[in-house]
Amino acid sequence: MTPLNDPRDQIPPGTLDMLILKTLARSGEMHGFEIANAIQLNSEDILQVEEGSLYPALQRMLVKGWLVGDWGKTAENRRARYYRLTARGRTQLNLEIERYHRVTRAIERIVQPA
Amino acid sequence: MQFSEIRRRLSYLLKRRDQASDLDEEMRLHVELRAAQLSSSGVPTREALDAARRQFGNRTQIAEQSNETWAFNWLDHLAEDLVFAARTLRKSPAFTMVAVATIALGIGLNTAVFSVVNAVMLRDLPVADAGRLVSLWEDIQREPDVFHGKDESAPATGPRRSTVSPANLVDYQTKTTSFEGLAGVDVAQLNLTGVGTPERLSGLSVTANFFPLLRVRPALGRAFTPDEDRPGHDDVVLITDELWQRRFGRSTILGSKIMLDARPYQVIGILPPGFLPASELGIEAPIDFYVPAAYPPDLLSDQGRGDHEVNVIGRLKPASTLASARAELKVLSQQLANRFPKSNQHVTAALAPLRDDVVRKVRTSLIVLLAAVGLIVLVACLNVANLTLVRSIARNREIAMRIALGASRSRVIRTLLTESLVVAALGCLAGFALGAALTRLLVVLAPATIPRIESTTLDAKVFLTTVAVAFVSGILFGILPAYQITRIDPADSLRSADKNLSGRHQIRWRSTLTVAEVGLCTVLLIGAGLLLRSFAAVLNVDLGFQSERILAANIPLPESRYATADQRLRFFEQLEARLRAQPGVLSVAFCNRLPMRGGWGTGINKQDAPNESLDTDAQAVSVGYFDTLGIRLLRGRLLTSIDRMGQPLVVVINQELARLFYKDADPIGQLIRRGSNGPWLQIVGVVSDIRRDGKTAKVTPQIYLPAAQTAVYPGRLADLAVRTALDPKQYAAEIQRQVWALDPDQPVTNVKTFDETISAAVAERRFQTILLCLFAGVAFSLALIGVYGVLSQTVAQRTAELGIRMALGASQSSILALVLRQAMGLMAAGVVSGLLLALGLSQYMKSLLFGIEPHDWGSYVVAIALLAAVGMVVSLVPARRATSVDPMVALRYE
Repeated sequence: MTPLNDPRDQIPPGTLDMLILKTLARSGEMHGFEIANAIQLNSEDILQVEEGSLYPALQRMLVKGWLVGDWGKTAENRRARYYRLTARGRTQLNLEIERYHRVTRAIERIVQPA
Repeated sequence: MQFSEIRRRLSYLLKRRDQASDLDEEMRLHVELRAAQLSSSGVPTREALDAARRQFGNRTQIAEQSNETWAFNWLDHLAEDLVFAARTLRKSPAFTMVAVATIALGIGLNTAVFSVVNAVMLRDLPVADAGRLVSLWEDIQREPDVFHGKDESAPATGPRRSTVSPANLVDYQTKTTSFEGLAGVDVAQLNLTGVGTPERLSGLSVTANFFPLLRVRPALGRAFTPDEDRPGHDDVVLITDELWQRRFGRSTILGSKIMLDARPYQVIGILPPGFLPASELGIEAPIDFYVPAAYPPDLLSDQGRGDHEVNVIGRLKPASTLASARAELKVLSQQLANRFPKSNQHVTAALAPLRDDVVRKVRTSLIVLLAAVGLIVLVACLNVANLTLVRSIARNREIAMRIALGASRSRVIRTLLTESLVVAALGCLAGFALGAALTRLLVVLAPATIPRIESTTLDAKVFLTTVAVAFVSGILFGILPAYQITRIDPADSLRSADKNLSGRHQIRWRSTLTVAEVGLCTVLLIGAGLLLRSFAAVLNVDLGFQSERILAANIPLPESRYATADQRLRFFEQLEARLRAQPGVLSVAFCNRLPMRGGWGTGINKQDAPNESLDTDAQAVSVGYFDTLGIRLLRGRLLTSIDRMGQPLVVVINQELARLFYKDADPIGQLIRRGSNGPWLQIVGVVSDIRRDGKTAKVTPQIYLPAAQTAVYPGRLADLAVRTALDPKQYAAEIQRQVWALDPDQPVTNVKTFDETISAAVAERRFQTILLCLFAGVAFSLALIGVYGVLSQTVAQRTAELGIRMALGASQSSILALVLRQAMGLMAAGVVSGLLLALGLSQYMKSLLFGIEPHDWGSYVVAIALLAAVGMVVSLVPARRATSVDPMVALRYE
């Protein structure tokens, strides 16, 4: 439930996987909270991850074998699961980015003033 | 799904408890870190934590979503649902018991009938690669019948199925490419003598390729060589393991000789145990031995093509199909017809899978019975659905509560369906046990004429079918109540304590189910009625001869010792004289074959119209034949002891022949002959008609030849009939004694009273009629329970209304009428729908009916009257309860 005056936008449907994959590709290892934060920061606070939905997505990508998760310690010495891209995840990321560009270009062509 | 993914899912399944706590820990960390971040930006700690939680969302739901991504989630739900179902069912034992019993009844009957159908119709013969075995016969297109004028009883035209002519068989064997082989098979009966009591053995005479074709080798010794399959070289025999055990005590017999029909046969092999039950080939007599067919050269010559006498089984090559083989045979039959127009003009070789062909006579009967038990299963499902609906009234609030608390409708339906499936599973177990018992009963009670029935077992196929039927039943009787209950608006249901709202809705559903039950039950009752009336019609048929207190026996005199017809005549005349001298014997007769025990036919021509011929049943009979069987003389004289060789050749004909051949003219003194070159026979008498082949057979034209004029008939004398003053059964030993007094090596076989033979002839019909009546009875009871249930519930729910009506002065009879009207409505709707269904379905029973049409109004009326009458009686119980409502009590209840 985002308040109406909140400047941040929900991320477009279907792109959460790509954002998670890209974030991990850029930073190597991260735990869930870091991923959520990273997406928000890198988008310069425009995109907000609906935090709860992050975890089912991570589980889904574990099932698919795009990620692996290993337990480690945070700076505060808390136990956390650190996620990392697999080779298959990297391939998937490229696929998703390509698809994303294809779609955006198509949409732009439509909405651009003639 | 890739393999690696399945592996990951499985490992998850094993470590799920850890995984769940891992996820929980991750989420907690997330919320705490978020809270820390918020509080560091100035939000008070307490609010920060709340805000972080809000921002995160519903942790339980997210955990569940995460879980679901790992699949196998349904397994969890299933386990939960099963536990829940077991608990709910235990809480209402009455419902559970009735529901399980009803389903078990349906499933049990279904299992029993299906196991028989499986054994008889579906199972392959117990030989290797039995699926490619075929049966071959010859269809003979009848020539147009010769009778003139209007004749309703004229034999139907269309091809007549016939056994195969050995000469044609050779062509089918050598001029086709579709078959790996075609073997001639025929029943052979030989007298075993020389070891203990003489015994008539029954076996098969087969061509040498029979055993290779069935892929069977003798357990000891060897099979026939082609060389032994020739006349003169054929004194070799293979015996079954059973005969070896029974007559020879498993002694070393291989290579030694046994006497069959007074001829020494060398035993060259002993077959493996269990090869081959006679009924697998549709033969009633047991098989004790196999001898080479060794067709004589004249039978194999072109002149022998008209003799259709052997059964043929074959094996299709892997490359050919039934259709291609049929096409090939059709072409070959045409070629043979062109080359041998005299014998083959109307002959076409026909083909069917052996398994189907063996059971062709009982097929419709079994399918009807299977359909009947199918209907019972449906009625049982409807009944349980009805019960479940009643129960769901009580559960309205429970379900509404569950939906209000967030259970999805699909989950609720799944839970309820699981309950139904648990009931179905219990019903399946109980039903399978019941089915096992019923199957044994069915096999014991079934007439022996149903091929292969003794091999009925509850095998894997039967079990799987039962499970499948139970599963589908569970879904069937569970889906409607489950669907119906989840359509409740939880808010409504929780707000009001009024159960009537949904109850009224349910009565509509229950009425629909009950109407369907009554409809299906109507179909079964009508079917049972049709069979019953057919059976009654069969029993009422007059055979035309008296069957009471007659003992019949077969005395197969072997050719080796009784080579000529005169020798055989002398034997029977001596035997007749000896038996007639016995006290209590009223009369004695002998002939070729007594009625319902076989016979032979011949075409006859008459002198004054040589081009007209007629197929007749012929019989050489002794002088006492007509008296013994009570066949009446209508015109002229009977055969007498004067009619012997050397005297004028005479014949007695029956009324039917007189009618067909001579119309209104007097046949006495007319001349007829067998075929176109037999000696002329003078008609001396006309006797009453008999149905030679039993009650369901037509009256055929018949001729009786004097047994003593041995030159005019080809068949052997073999059957003996003794009419006695008292119970004829006790004369069996006497007949045997008198036969042995004449010839100590001569067995007597097939000793039966006529009443036994007649009873056996209708046994199949009786069996199927009893079963269908029984099934109809079961369906009827279930339907009545349904009607009773709906009415009772209606009355209970209308208690208040009925009370008000009575308080306002309604009479008891008007209340009674109110309830009965509802009952009548249910029954009427059911009966009408059932009638329509029955009108359509009864066509499929046509071949099982006798003397009535599928739309026989009597059966329909009786079924409807029965339903209406018993339905009314059952409805009276709730109706009377309605009239005894105390207005005060009813109003206070409101």
